[in-house]
Amino acid sequence: MLAGLAWRNLWRQPRRTLLSLASIAFAALVMVFLMSFQLGVYATMKENVLRIVDGFAQVQPAGYRENPSLRKTIDAPGPIIARLRTVPGVGAVAPRTMGFAIVSSGDKSFGTAVFGVDPAMEPRVSRLNHTIVNGRYLKAGDENAVVIGKRLARNLDVKAGDTISVLGEALDGSIAADVLTVVGIFDTGTREIDRQLAEMPLARFQATFAMNDKVNTLAISGNTLADVDSALGAIRRSIANENLKVQNWQALEPGLDGAISLDFNTSMLWYTSLVVIVVFIILNTLLMSVLERTREFGVLLSVGMRPAQVGIMVWLELTFLALVGLAVGIAIGDAVTLVVAHYGLELPGTDAIFSRWGLPGRLFPRLSLVSMLSAPVIMGLSIVVAGIFPYRHVDQLEPISAMRESL
Amino acid sequence: MNRTGWFFILAMLAPMAFAAPDPTHLIQAAFDNWRGKSSYTEVTMTVHRPAWERQLSMQSWTRGNEDALVRFVKPAKDAGNATLKVGGDMWIFNPRLNQVLKLPASMMAQSWMGSDFSYNDLAKANDVLTEYTHKLLGSEEQDGHTVYTVEALPKPDAATVWGKQVLTIRDDGVLIGEDYFDQDMKLVKSMRTTKVGPLGGRQYPVSMTMKKVDTEDAWTRISFEQGRFDIDMPDALFTRANLRNPRDFGLGRQ
Repeated sequence: MLAGLAWRNLWRQPRRTLLSLASIAFAALVMVFLMSFQLGVYATMKENVLRIVDGFAQVQPAGYRENPSLRKTIDAPGPIIARLRTVPGVGAVAPRTMGFAIVSSGDKSFGTAVFGVDPAMEPRVSRLNHTIVNGRYLKAGDENAVVIGKRLARNLDVKAGDTISVLGEALDGSIAADVLTVVGIFDTGTREIDRQLAEMPLARFQATFAMNDKVNTLAISGNTLADVDSALGAIRRSIANENLKVQNWQALEPGLDGAISLDFNTSMLWYTSLVVIVVFIILNTLLMSVLERTREFGVLLSVGMRPAQVGIMVWLELTFLALVGLAVGIAIGDAVTLVVAHYGLELPGTDAIFSRWGLPGRLFPRLSLVSMLSAPVIMGLSIVVAGIFPYRHVDQLEPISAMRESL
Repeated sequence: MNRTGWFFILAMLAPMAFAAPDPTHLIQAAFDNWRGKSSYTEVTMTVHRPAWERQLSMQSWTRGNEDALVRFVKPAKDAGNATLKVGGDMWIFNPRLNQVLKLPASMMAQSWMGSDFSYNDLAKANDVLTEYTHKLLGSEEQDGHTVYTVEALPKPDAATVWGKQVLTIRDDGVLIGEDYFDQDMKLVKSMRTTKVGPLGGRQYPVSMTMKKVDTEDAWTRISFEQGRFDIDMPDALFTRANLRNPRDFGLGRQ
């Protein structure tokens, strides 16, 4: 009965109610869109950076992340890879080896991280093959082939078709030396990768560095980063018996994680201010309406309604207002977000900053439960809690004095 | 002699008997003992790892502080690999590539020939003398010798590999040990002389073991089998041409 009364009360003043609804709905809309946009940009950023080389997660020998070394190996990767591929959310698993070696051409030589990769699997984890600017990426059947970064190629003064020497230390402590033909040069836009990375076929790497079938890491990818992130537990269980560790994206790219956290914390400040302002505006409107209706409440009390019931009625009005406003806001916010997510948003003049984080020129928001609900839920809770104030005001009314008051 | 006279003589003698040696001179003495004006040595290096152990034989030539050449002769898999140091630069020759590579600066901290020595240990061995300030920490008696402990801290503005080094040096210049600390003053690795014996007419640390602190059951031992010191060495020995195509200068087996 109280609920029915509260609902009818709302529509006795349609203009005021609609205005309140509009302000709540608009605030919810803005928050849903902004959060979807921000989280969407973060997700793109993370996926693009991780897709260059790292993968969305990696399985590594214990202690490898802290101090990568050719000697820390996964000795029988075959069954582990097979097991990992059955984990839901895992799209592809690419085995890799990595050693530090001297790469040289003529009288120029540079220290470089040399990866051994499976030419068939690697493109399913890393987009390096899409960044080739000269020649081609590795392909199945390649033997003495290598692809190197643009800056390394410039430093060595080589182009596709030239040969380079690789000199490093093999797993058994002997010298690993090989002469390889540069089949392609990649340009990822990330300075460190373009300057210090070379990839050669896994089998050749394992032969040159005396590794037999051993590998150093398994790079994992999936449809989205979120898919792989939620599969981490299952991945961990599937390698529980080995002395291996799963590294999530934060562990692989701590710099990116830090940048995102900092940026997100800053914007949380803005979101919080927005919520506070909206809640105060709503509360103000409601308090005004309660003060206006003191006489009406006096009548209700004198016909036998208890003060607490009147208070609950007022609180219900506020709650309905919030629920309807937020629902409308979420609906419109979702619609706007989905439209922008389809077409993308172009921010001119930001290419330079964006390419540093692997971002494309056009940005896309991503609607998720978090971006859709977190801000509205917080707003709703704040309004519902703030409803205590009008409730207490009404609760203290005396029927006679209330009827005489005002007017 | 009267009392004043005795006192005078004692006062004269006291500083000679009790004076602490100059720490820089101690390190210089250790270097002089280690390689003289020039040296030729035949060395066996044992690299021990939990999973395997391997022995490499090498010949080594040094001249002054700056020039050094090391050539591996055994095992067959590594024979012919050679490292040349001239001044601050290092070159590597690999017979399979048949090529001389200049060692890039970024690789200096990497392991040398799979051992617990880094290229820096070879290239910048001299730094402890020139780029660090030295302080005598103490001394103790050991097998009839006095062994001094010297602390070496980087000079201001010096770009050094280590944050601190502590050397223990015997009074006759034999190096007994060297501890390497990082910039946080944490011990990274230690070298210990495990045997002192005659080599090329001098007492010499003929067997030394290098061990990193954070690894278990992994170490590198170098044992000196032959040694000749203070012999004339031609300039052509320490050249890239000789690195690639060894010539016999009559200085050890080439």
